[in-house]
Amino acid sequence: MGDSVRKNGILFFVGLVILTGFLSAKSVETAADWSSGTAYVLPAGRWEMGLFQPLRYGLSGGQEFSTHPLLFVKMPNLTYKRVWKADERGVIASRHQLLYPTPLLNTVARKGIGGIVSPEFTFPAMVSLHNEVLYTKKLMGSMQVTGKAGITVGVAFGDLDKRMTIDLPLVFQRLAVFYNNWLIRLGGDVTGHLSGRWNYLVDSDVFLIPGAEENFGFEHKGLLLWNKSDRFQLAIGYKLVYGQYPYGTQWHLLPPKVPGLPVWIPLFDLQWAW
Amino acid sequence: MKPTLALLTVILPFLFFQGCDPIVTEFPPVSNAISYQAKEVVDVPGKDTLLVMTWNIRFGVGRMAWFGDACGERVIATDDEVLTVMEALAAKINELDPDIIFLQEADVESKRTGYLDQVQWLLDHTALNYAAYASMWEAQFIPSDGLGRLNTGNAILSKWEITDAERIQLPLRGDQDALTKLFYLRRNILKTRIALPGKDNFYAVDIHATAFATDDTKKKHLARFKEELDKIVSDGGIFLAGGDLNEIPPGAAKLDYCLEDMCEGESYHQPGDDPEHREGSYFLYFDDENTWLQGLYDTYYPAVAHSDYIADEARYFTHTPDFANLSTDAWDRKIDYLWASDPWVAGSDSTHHEAVTTSDHCPVTAKWVIP
Repeated sequence: MGDSVRKNGILFFVGLVILTGFLSAKSVETAADWSSGTAYVLPAGRWEMGLFQPLRYGLSGGQEFSTHPLLFVKMPNLTYKRVWKADERGVIASRHQLLYPTPLLNTVARKGIGGIVSPEFTFPAMVSLHNEVLYTKKLMGSMQVTGKAGITVGVAFGDLDKRMTIDLPLVFQRLAVFYNNWLIRLGGDVTGHLSGRWNYLVDSDVFLIPGAEENFGFEHKGLLLWNKSDRFQLAIGYKLVYGQYPYGTQWHLLPPKVPGLPVWIPLFDLQWAW
Repeated sequence: MKPTLALLTVILPFLFFQGCDPIVTEFPPVSNAISYQAKEVVDVPGKDTLLVMTWNIRFGVGRMAWFGDACGERVIATDDEVLTVMEALAAKINELDPDIIFLQEADVESKRTGYLDQVQWLLDHTALNYAAYASMWEAQFIPSDGLGRLNTGNAILSKWEITDAERIQLPLRGDQDALTKLFYLRRNILKTRIALPGKDNFYAVDIHATAFATDDTKKKHLARFKEELDKIVSDGGIFLAGGDLNEIPPGAAKLDYCLEDMCEGESYHQPGDDPEHREGSYFLYFDDENTWLQGLYDTYYPAVAHSDYIADEARYFTHTPDFANLSTDAWDRKIDYLWASDPWVAGSDSTHHEAVTTSDHCPVTAKWVIP
C-alpha cells in the first residue's frame, strides 16, 4: 500500500473520530413522519421505506437507522441519524453514513450488457464515511426549511485508474470521494403543505470536491407528495443534475426520456410506513 | 408562495428538458453535420491537382487488441496510448500532405479514447484547416462492456472551407432486436460542399458502410451511396468520394475470412455452428453480394482501377484484423476506396501498407486533376 492509501486511511480515521465524538454526546427526543430530508428522525418504532428510498427505522432517544436493503448485499450501507437539539427555534441533528461500494462496482465491471465499467479493471476495497449536520426550522405556515453541511471521506485500499470512473449523473460525484479522498456536501430542503393531501418537497445539494479536476456538482429535486395516510405516500417529480465530468459539463434531467416513448416519464416513488 | 413553488415544480423540468441530451441520439434522414475549424487557419492557394486520402483511423487506438473487433480484452485506452497513435496519424498525414481526407471512426467524445476530440486534434496538428463531422454512434452511455459515453463517426478534413455539410442517415441494420438496435450504430453518408477556388459545384462525400450486417443492409448502404453521387452529377456537380465500404471488389479471389478472423473459442462452418459465418468476415451472404460495387465501378472512376486490383490484389489490400501481425504484409483484404466523378491521375494511387501500426486500415491516396 502506498502513500495515497495511508493518507486516505488517516482521513478516514479523522472521520471516525468525529463520528465517535458525536455519538458519545446526549441526544434529544423529537420525531416526525416522512422526514428523511430534515433534521427530524422517525418516531420510535416506526418503519418507512420506498421503492427508491432507504428502509428507515426510528429508535427512542431521537435516533434513526437507515439502509438501502436491496443494495445492501452488493453495497453494504448504513446511516445513523441523531437529534441533538430541538426547541422552538428549530431542530439540529447529525447524520453519518458508512458505505462499502466495492462489491457492487466489481459486479458492474463486466463484459456484455450491464457492463458499466470495463472488465479490464478491478476495484480495490473502498470505504466512505459521510458526516453531516442538519438544521431544520419551521417558517411561515407549514413550510419547513432544512440546511445541511457535511464532509465525506473515502479510502481506497489500492490504486484507482481514472478510466474506472462512471461518468454518469448522481454516480460520478458520489464516487469522486474515492479518487479525491474527501469532498464537501452542502444542501437545503424545503417542504410544506400545498392543499388537501398534497405536499411538496424541493431540495438542492452541492458537491464541492477540492483539488479534483472535476470539482463541482449540483443536484436539485422537486417532488409533489400525495399522502394517502401516515402509512402510504406517493411522490412524483424530477431531479436535475449539473455536473463537471471528464468530458465537460452537462445538465441532466432525471429520469431521462426513454427513446421511443413520445413523452417524458417523471420520477416517482411509492413509500410505505408501519 | 405555495402556488409559486408548485409552479416551479412543474415548469423547471420542462425548461431544462430542452437543454438535456437524449440517452441515445437518433438522427433525422438528413441533418446538418458538425463544422470544425483549425486553431490556426493557413491560406492555401488554388491548385490544379489535389491529393486525396481515405483512412479509417480506428478511433486512434492503433492496433490495440480491442474487444469489439480484435479478439481482445481491451476496452478503454489510456491517454498516452491514444496520443501516441494520434501523433503517428498526424505524422503520416503531414508526410503525405493530402488536400482532402475522408476519415472513418474518428472519436470526438468517447470514454474509450479519453474524450479526445480527434477531429479537432488532427486539424490542429496537420495542414488541414476545416472539417465536417457526422456521428455514427452518439450515446451518453452505452451500458455494455464498460463502453460508457461514445461519439464516433465520419469526418471530412479539407484545406479549403467547407460551405455545406449534410449528414445523411443510412438504413439501420435489419437483423438486430429493438433494444440492441436502439443503442447500436447509426451509419451515415457525410456530404459536403467545399469552396475550391474557382469551383462552386465541388462536393466531397464520405461513407462508412455496415460491417457486420448479415442481411441486405449493406446492399442498401452501397445503393444509397451511389444514389447520392448520381444526384451530384445529375445536378451538374463534380465530386470526390471515399470511405470504408466494408465490401470486397468484384472478382476478388477470396470472399470468406471466417476462419482467419476467428477468435479463440469460436467455431464457424462446422455442423451446428450458429452463426455459421463470422459477422464482418464473410462477403457472400447473398449470391450476388460480390457485384454490389459493380455499379460504382461501371459509373465512376476508382482511384485503384479494377483491372489493376485484379492483376495484383495483395498490393491493394487495405485492412487486416490480425492484431498479432505488425508487419507490412499483414493486410489481407480491400474494403477502403476512393471514387471520383472525373479521372484520377494515372498511376498516382498508393495503398500505404507501411502505416501498419496506426490502424487496422491503411490510408489510400491518389491524385485528381480538378476538371
